[in-house]
Amino acid sequence: MTKIDPETRIPDPIELDRLEEARLRGAAGLVPARATGGEYAGFDQVGIPDRPPQTDREREVYSLEEGEMLVNMGPQHPSTHGVMRLVVKVRGEIVVDVDPVLGYLHRGIEKLCENATYTTVLTYVDPMDYLSTMHNEHAPAIAFEKLYGVEPPKRAEYIRALVVELNRIFSHGLMMGFLALDMGGITPILYAFINRDEIVDLLSSISGQRMLFNFFRVGGVNFDTNDEFLSRLGTWRGNVLKNIEMNERMITDNEIFRARTMNMGTLTGRDAIALGVTGPNLRASGVPFDVRKAHPYSIYNELEFDVITQEAGDSYARYLQRIAEIKQSIHLIDQIIDKMPHGPVQAQVPGIIRPRPGRAYAAIESPRGLYSVYSISDGGPNPYRFRMRDPSFISLQAIPKLMPGRLVADTMAVMASFDPVMGGVDK
Amino acid sequence: MDWELLLGIGRFLLATTLLLVLTIPTAFIIIQMELKVIASMNLRLGPNRVGPGGMFQSTIHGFKVLAKEDTIPDQADPPTFTLAPWMVYMAAAMSMLVIPFAPGAIAADFNIGVVYFFAVLGLSVVGLLVAGWASYNKYSLLGGLRSAAQMVSYEIPLTLSIVGAVVLAGTLSFSEIIEWQRQHGWLLIWQPIGLGIFYISSLAEVNRTPFDMVEADSELVAGPFTEYSGMRFGFFFFAEYVALFIMSGILVSLFFGGWLAPWPFPAQLGGFAGTLYGIFWFFLKTYIFVFIAVWLRATLPRVRVDQLMGMAWKVLLPLALVNLFVTAIAVVVFEL
Repeated sequence: MTKIDPETRIPDPIELDRLEEARLRGAAGLVPARATGGEYAGFDQVGIPDRPPQTDREREVYSLEEGEMLVNMGPQHPSTHGVMRLVVKVRGEIVVDVDPVLGYLHRGIEKLCENATYTTVLTYVDPMDYLSTMHNEHAPAIAFEKLYGVEPPKRAEYIRALVVELNRIFSHGLMMGFLALDMGGITPILYAFINRDEIVDLLSSISGQRMLFNFFRVGGVNFDTNDEFLSRLGTWRGNVLKNIEMNERMITDNEIFRARTMNMGTLTGRDAIALGVTGPNLRASGVPFDVRKAHPYSIYNELEFDVITQEAGDSYARYLQRIAEIKQSIHLIDQIIDKMPHGPVQAQVPGIIRPRPGRAYAAIESPRGLYSVYSISDGGPNPYRFRMRDPSFISLQAIPKLMPGRLVADTMAVMASFDPVMGGVDK
Repeated sequence: MDWELLLGIGRFLLATTLLLVLTIPTAFIIIQMELKVIASMNLRLGPNRVGPGGMFQSTIHGFKVLAKEDTIPDQADPPTFTLAPWMVYMAAAMSMLVIPFAPGAIAADFNIGVVYFFAVLGLSVVGLLVAGWASYNKYSLLGGLRSAAQMVSYEIPLTLSIVGAVVLAGTLSFSEIIEWQRQHGWLLIWQPIGLGIFYISSLAEVNRTPFDMVEADSELVAGPFTEYSGMRFGFFFFAEYVALFIMSGILVSLFFGGWLAPWPFPAQLGGFAGTLYGIFWFFLKTYIFVFIAVWLRATLPRVRVDQLMGMAWKVLLPLALVNLFVTAIAVVVFEL
């Protein structure tokens, strides 16, 4: 026990921490901590360890000029979708730069899939983009069928198309709600969930689960339609347009909503293509690219539909695009029900699938865009390589391009209009 | 000994105590309304476990915040941090002094009640700014600065919008304005534009949707309140709802006849019965406007901060000035 000189001033604990840190740094042979206000002062502000910037982009984002500050939006934030983290550089209320930081929800699904048999891969991909579970299963199912060389029966294809369109409707419906929620409108999201709940009940009556459906199989689907599914489908079909319209009435012509989304986050078609943005976000910028039309898979070449596009490319156009696609999907569902053939729903495949060595690529149109799977087989029971392209990951690239010069409030509104799902982004 | 003075002081103390106590059930009732009304508008059930139909949910919330741990962030500034909720709450509670509940039921019937009201209610912005600064949090700081910008800007159209009413009534005392309305009809008929400007500005002044830029939960987490917990947060929360009640009450007093019934006030009702009658009408009308504010919250998204300021300076302020100008000319020309 050292004796304390009563004359000594009792040191401030914060100062003690600083001294201790300097001592430890000296002992470890590190450079002394940089004083705040230095070249990379931004690191300090968002909790990044003090180190030289790794890339030019990092240097650009994390060095601050006079009057700028960095704000962490997420990973814990009331409005970021899931665990997205945006490091926003602001000057007052004006956004100067945005740096999305990803990886908080990374579960290594691709690696998990490489260690799973082809049949069980379809269960692992479910929680990826958790709002479009059916689509998550669709692309690997197609890819594995190509690898193994098996054709699903016609009825299975029709049931697949039916469930993915149902999934698309609730996913787009939720986007309407989340977009409004990120602007402070609390009701549309709950109306959207009414519609979602009906569809989820519907899908659970055919697949047995409410969220991670695990419905697709290599060479078919798990179950045929049943009476409960069909009767629920009829009820839902009667309500859906009314539900969507009820929600639309809250938002579409709302003066505040229009003022906040029109001319906001405008992405031109050329930029959207350059950034790799696909799906409704691309079509909202006026580029008529829809995988269902451009590279027809499943039974989409037997159905009648047009590629819907919007002109403006702003947040409002992206919102309108979603609504138009909901109505298009309902139209598609009507056609699918009319044309659905009888027959088996599962082709003959062995319990453990061992495709010949080769590679297969399958792309589908998920609610967020082009979702594709690239899989390599080495002849074993599990994929040698399994890689997924998730559209929301690509869409996020557009946000740093669109935000500079806008206000903090718009960050959330524009991000919500791209409808990213972090489960898909981080995989 | 001046008994008059002592009596006055005693009456004032009683009234202020009563008003302070009144803030508690007021906040509870409005919070409960917000829980249940928004729930039914969202097609939800809302809270339904505490008490019959969940009617004590907000009371339980109140006790919950009392029991919560009260934290102060390491780098916050304790004196200002602890003072800020008090400042906001007192601004709301003090402005209750001049609210005319019924004939005779008004804590302090100043002859400059209107001026006092806007002066005191405006103080709450200081509390919010202090809270935002003292928390040592970027969201809080942004929220605090927003509150300063927003509330100071909206105070101008808010105050100007009632000058027309004041010019017509020829008085700054709330009870005399109501008396004028008894004789000439509600100011709603005389000052429709003033009413519109007042209503919009008052929503902005008490930070209600669609103008809740200060809290803006989807952008700023909870604005200046982010770092607050326990009863300090509770005070902010209370102040917000009390301010909503007060603003609705003032709106009713200025434009909807205050304690007056929609039909002529029965002259034979005097004394205590008359007071009760007045209180009934005052609370009924006030809660109608509180309900409308809750309704708006369930319906509208939030405007953006630049749109908000643009509306105050480019639309409401010129409109309020024109309204005042026209009213003043009319008063002079028609000798109202």
